[in-house]
Amino acid sequence: MGATLRALRALVLLCGFYLLSLLLLAALAGVDVAAFGSGLHGPAAVKLFIVTVVLAIPVVRGMFMLRTPRGEERAGVPVTEADEPRLWALVRELAAATGTRAPDRILLTADVNAAVSEESRLLGLLPGPRRLYLGVPLLTGLTEAQLRAVLAHEYGHFTGGDTRLSALVVRGRAQIARVIGQFHAQADGKVAAERARQEKASAKRVAEGKKAKRVDTGGTGATYRMMAKIYTAYGKLYLRASLSTGRAQEYAADLAAARIAGRDATASALREIPVLASSHDFYVDSYATLGLPVRMLPPRGEFFGGFGRLLTARERELAELRADLPTEPASPYDSHPPIAERVRRIEALPADGRAEEAKDTALALLTDPQRTLAALEDAVLTDEVLAFRRTAEWQELLEASMAEGMSSVRTPLHQALADYTGQPATLPALLEVIDDGRLWRLAERLPLSEEAAAAKGRAFREFVRPRLRNSLRTMVLAEFSARSLLHWEFSWSRAAAVRLPGWTSENTPDDGPEAALDAAVDAALADHPDTAPLRALLPPAATQPA
Amino acid sequence: MTVLLWILAVLAVPTLIFAVWIAGVFLKEFFHPSPDDGTEAAQAAEKLGLLPAERQSTDHPAPLPADWAAALDAVRRGDWQPAAELLRAIGRDWDRRTTVIGHLATLAAKDDEWLLAWEAARPEDPDAAVVRAQSTVYLAWELRGAKKAKYTTQEQFQGFHRTLVGAREEIARAAALNPDDPTPYVAEIWVALGLGYANAEMDKLWAEITTRDPHHVGAHFSALQYWCAKWRGSRQLAFDFAERAAAEAPLGSLLTVLPLIAHFEHDESTDTAADNTPEMVARVDAGLADAAAADPTHPGLAQLRHLLAFYLHLQDRHEAALEQFKLVDGYVEALPWSYRGDGAAAYYCQVRNDTVRAVAAEA
Repeated sequence: MGATLRALRALVLLCGFYLLSLLLLAALAGVDVAAFGSGLHGPAAVKLFIVTVVLAIPVVRGMFMLRTPRGEERAGVPVTEADEPRLWALVRELAAATGTRAPDRILLTADVNAAVSEESRLLGLLPGPRRLYLGVPLLTGLTEAQLRAVLAHEYGHFTGGDTRLSALVVRGRAQIARVIGQFHAQADGKVAAERARQEKASAKRVAEGKKAKRVDTGGTGATYRMMAKIYTAYGKLYLRASLSTGRAQEYAADLAAARIAGRDATASALREIPVLASSHDFYVDSYATLGLPVRMLPPRGEFFGGFGRLLTARERELAELRADLPTEPASPYDSHPPIAERVRRIEALPADGRAEEAKDTALALLTDPQRTLAALEDAVLTDEVLAFRRTAEWQELLEASMAEGMSSVRTPLHQALADYTGQPATLPALLEVIDDGRLWRLAERLPLSEEAAAAKGRAFREFVRPRLRNSLRTMVLAEFSARSLLHWEFSWSRAAAVRLPGWTSENTPDDGPEAALDAAVDAALADHPDTAPLRALLPPAATQPA
Repeated sequence: MTVLLWILAVLAVPTLIFAVWIAGVFLKEFFHPSPDDGTEAAQAAEKLGLLPAERQSTDHPAPLPADWAAALDAVRRGDWQPAAELLRAIGRDWDRRTTVIGHLATLAAKDDEWLLAWEAARPEDPDAAVVRAQSTVYLAWELRGAKKAKYTTQEQFQGFHRTLVGAREEIARAAALNPDDPTPYVAEIWVALGLGYANAEMDKLWAEITTRDPHHVGAHFSALQYWCAKWRGSRQLAFDFAERAAAEAPLGSLLTVLPLIAHFEHDESTDTAADNTPEMVARVDAGLADAAAADPTHPGLAQLRHLLAFYLHLQDRHEAALEQFKLVDGYVEALPWSYRGDGAAAYYCQVRNDTVRAVAAEA
């Protein structure tokens, strides 16, 4: 079966999606007509009518779900040609090179993504206004040449590739995948689970509140689930039937990108994007949102601006990540082939001598990157978060959030100690338990693995010792922190390092307060515990029972 | 109606008879179970003075000498001095020393109060130091558990690794305190297994051992495990090691056990063809000659006899097998039984009883 035939089959199946809906509606209407025709009247008739209408609702909704929902513009900073002449020029040039229409709007967003959306009409048969979503983190992490490759790939999807039909098929795939996703979310109660999960991660959610979409949870129920099953089954059939077309389209778009932006830039952009995506997740979790629990923000423009510094500082780590490409597709229905395979195909192309083109960061395309980064915060963060206090520098943000974290820290050992003594869990109380020789009795109350709980004597002590060591160390650090004796060293390339009182940069790993603390903690947790070294390290007030 | 009742009655009579018969059989079986083949063989074994499974010791491969048992009992009560005295008396008999240290370390891996007392009383005692080192190695293996890697948790592996790394320091200390003793290096073989020493590193370690005692049975037993395919070697490397050691050792040194173990560790066949090759028959014959020439009190002798009994049985040399079984009966902590874990004694008795029955059938 040729590419065109396969695409045609997929298109017929796409039409079948509507046909399925119409058939279901017709069947429901038929039931009503037959019932009234056979002389059914009164409350029974009304009841039947209501049931059929209730059943018809999800069908109709399903039909409309296939449309691209309108007005779903993502949060971002819209930029006009006057704002960003160089970016627009690049975008127009690439559109011309791929032989497609340039977008009507460009929106700078906060994610690692570039996407072109089109509000097409008549089920995707007529073109509509196009938007280009361009993630600022993507601009931060890619060179100009790599950005050209990414955009050329996106445009490649609009130019038809091998067949005019496949563009439609591929668009159909995206829409059906979304319908299935929505049905799944609503039918399996996934929405509720997802919401609960998100509420737990409240800090992050507040930060990105404007992006979160309210998901309608109405209409769940047996009928809905049944309809969902029908649609899902059909949708999967469609996705499977059109998979090869979708993949071929991706390869074609990659080829177009390589032709326009150069082979090496395209391959390196493909390698770079998964690395950027995971680095950005890490950046948001560990840096940007660091101060949210203490209602603090990094300096203006830094919430998204720090990402570039992180990338520079961790260049060596990133190089390792780039070498390790995912070889599996993201899901069985994902139209994107595994990145490793795409890179392999691009790198197999003959060299085009364009390796050295446009090596500057793509962020430099912007007129005033600092201003854009600041504007992005206003556009993406919620008003609540924007009202948080701005710190003067990252170091201050780190110290404040670590001090807060330390003051509220509650290790498993805290819990075990409170359970065991019936008193508030404090460091003096713990040292007293250790001195009384009851540490291992206390340790039995820690949350233990099956193996650790079954172990006895020396084996038990070996199992629980790492956990005790972590908890005790944390309790000691919290004690220092409560007395403002603790400092944290901010770094873009490493995890924040704790600095104990008495620390100097001349300390070696075997010498200095860090080593002394480790030795004291080990002594307190030895088979024959000795808390004296630890008591000697602590501020005098901390070792007295309260 | 009457006709129907008659029909039912006629049908009921055979049903009733059948039910009564079944009940009778059930009751008879319940109060006097008919002896099956297994119990007959077990009774025959009992007549020969062989013990049932529940009376087999799963702690040792052979009875402990009285002074060893006394020292271990004292240690269980927290008294380390008889153990120290025993090691002093054994002196430079390295095979015995390693075996006793193994028994003491097994106890210390569970509870080391007595060992801490010993170390406190005699801080530089090389005997306490080597028990300490060996016990930490055992502790590491206890943390790991005996399951395959995929059933072993991250926590277990971390504890295993951490403890083995710690044991290396204790091994080095024990070796420094008693430079002639191969025992610390034998303990290190189990560190090599766990931490995955490269083969070259293992060869270096092996040289330390053979210069101190070229035919140390316990060391060869441990090193063969290292060379097995399931650890850091291969089938070929294991056989090479075992055959060379057996060939180079004088008669009575008990190293003929090694090719039998190599075969046992790598034999995955389900029938006895592989155990009946001329090569295997020759290995068993060599083992028999070796055992006959060995010091009858050698701590490694029982392990050889257990394997000889097993393979003689598989080779249908039942008379000879029974002879070996009679010599080791009562203690089953040895290959091939010990790999069955809790089922070791039952497995041993099943094979032994099969042998007894076969001997009776031949007679």
